[in-house]
Amino acid sequence: MQPLLQADAICVTFGGLKAVDGVSFSLNAGEIVGLIGPNGAGKTTLFNALVGLQPLTSGTVWLDGERVCGLKPHKVARLGMTKTFQNAALFPDMSVKENVTTAALLRHDLKGARAKADTVLRKLDLTPIADADVADLTFPQKALVEMARALATEPRVLLLDEVMAALTPAEMDEVMAVIRALKAEGLAFLVVEHHMRAIMALCDRLLAVNFGRLIADGTPAQVAAHPQVIEAYLGHGAAGKEAAHA
Amino acid sequence: MRNLFSPSRAALLLFFLAAALLPLALDPRGHLIRVAAMVLLFAAMAQSWNIVGGLANQISLGHAAFFGLGAYTSTLLFLKLGVTPWIGMGVGAVVAGGAAALLSIPTFRLKGHYFALATLAFAEVMRVIANSLGDVTGGPVGLSIPFMGSQPALFAFRSVASYYWIILGLLVAVCAVFHLLASGAIGYRLRAVRENEAAAEVAGVDTFRVKLTASVISAALTAVCGTVFAQFTFFFDPDSIFSLSGISVRMAMIAIVGGLGTLGGPLVGALFLIPLEEVANAVLSSQAAGLSQFAFGVILIGAILIQPRGLMAYWLRTPWAKTRRAAATGA
Repeated sequence: MQPLLQADAICVTFGGLKAVDGVSFSLNAGEIVGLIGPNGAGKTTLFNALVGLQPLTSGTVWLDGERVCGLKPHKVARLGMTKTFQNAALFPDMSVKENVTTAALLRHDLKGARAKADTVLRKLDLTPIADADVADLTFPQKALVEMARALATEPRVLLLDEVMAALTPAEMDEVMAVIRALKAEGLAFLVVEHHMRAIMALCDRLLAVNFGRLIADGTPAQVAAHPQVIEAYLGHGAAGKEAAHA
Repeated sequence: MRNLFSPSRAALLLFFLAAALLPLALDPRGHLIRVAAMVLLFAAMAQSWNIVGGLANQISLGHAAFFGLGAYTSTLLFLKLGVTPWIGMGVGAVVAGGAAALLSIPTFRLKGHYFALATLAFAEVMRVIANSLGDVTGGPVGLSIPFMGSQPALFAFRSVASYYWIILGLLVAVCAVFHLLASGAIGYRLRAVRENEAAAEVAGVDTFRVKLTASVISAALTAVCGTVFAQFTFFFDPDSIFSLSGISVRMAMIAIVGGLGTLGGPLVGALFLIPLEEVANAVLSSQAAGLSQFAFGVILIGAILIQPRGLMAYWLRTPWAKTRRAAATGA
């Protein structure tokens, strides 16, 4: 089966710095893949490169057999891939519903977009705050509205950049339930998250990056035990001690 | 339809009603009706500017370019080819819209001050061209429209009141366009672009196309105002029609002082600034050279410092104007 999303040796260079260095991976429909790595490993840059916010220095990205690298983000969104922003980049002068409606306009006229926004807000239990100003929201609410806005574009691949960062464990369970329900509908997720509990519980597969390079690709258990991953998180020598303990 | 009779709408209706009744109270050939017509014309210009400046937050300081293109196109078509300015007005709008589209390609990548400077430079280039192409544009001497008495088909009227009605009609039309844009699908997209361009793109908004559409519409409407201005004043020259302070900055200033991105802002701003300028000129210009401009400048700075969100912010704070969005989209 052809993967839904396929990245081939993608590189992003800022001057002399290789922020993303030859990363290749694939993502299938209905799959949730976690992207882990220490701060500055290149996770957000990789996300931006996939959706077209950051031009690739080299490499190719395929979305369902179509080449999407070099396209503008709104074209990538039309083809079915979008992302959320790490620090909730909502449109601050609009209400929650207006934020979501704007994204729904990608595939609907204004009336249809409003109806679509209502549906998405209901799905994420955000209907009670539909008319609230986003400036008045708490951080977890903002993250959820950001996810609602992304879903309103009706993506097939959704890249989530730390949507669970400020959530309580109970809220996290709710969001994970929503993600699982969407996965059941065939949506594919690439998820950056620092909560290991969420990552381990949610993901079918993990990708680990460090210094822009992909260092591991496998099941959560395989990747968590990978010596290079342990070293990336705990420092040089830790992997050896870990192995000695085992 | 729910908000058909909202206080904001009632206030707007009241404004237009008062504007429609005003000529009955004024001498149809007097100075005051000219000032009133100028208030409405500048309100229409500022509203045209507000489409890009307010809705998309692309602060243009070069709209005089489109204003002058409108004035020159219709006037030259009339003087050289005998085309009625009513048609010339449409041609001018197309020319200005085309110029705006061409200008968009290099300038839309620029942000904030850089965009403002690029548009400013464009208007200055237009001024220099108009000054130097003497054979076509009349150069620094400018262009005069001969007085022909009252000939409605040629956009010529004897009484100032006739021009006043036309300008009022133009203002209503420009406000209607602004309202349709602000409350329609493009209004959502423009506000998204204004607030976060990267997020708007990722949410599926073609930011370039949205800004381009707004710019072209804004430029075309500004050009229509330019034609009306030329017909109303009978004379213009490159330095006045492409003026940075007299046209470009004034359009922006009226919208900003009134309330950026709001339907009422340009109306309130023009109603405040144009008469204020008149009074400052009448009272102070005989006292010392430049004193009236100085006083006007001080008042402008004061107004912005006291209420950076514009005079409309006072209205939006009243219990009648419940939500700021309702007024922002003219609801």
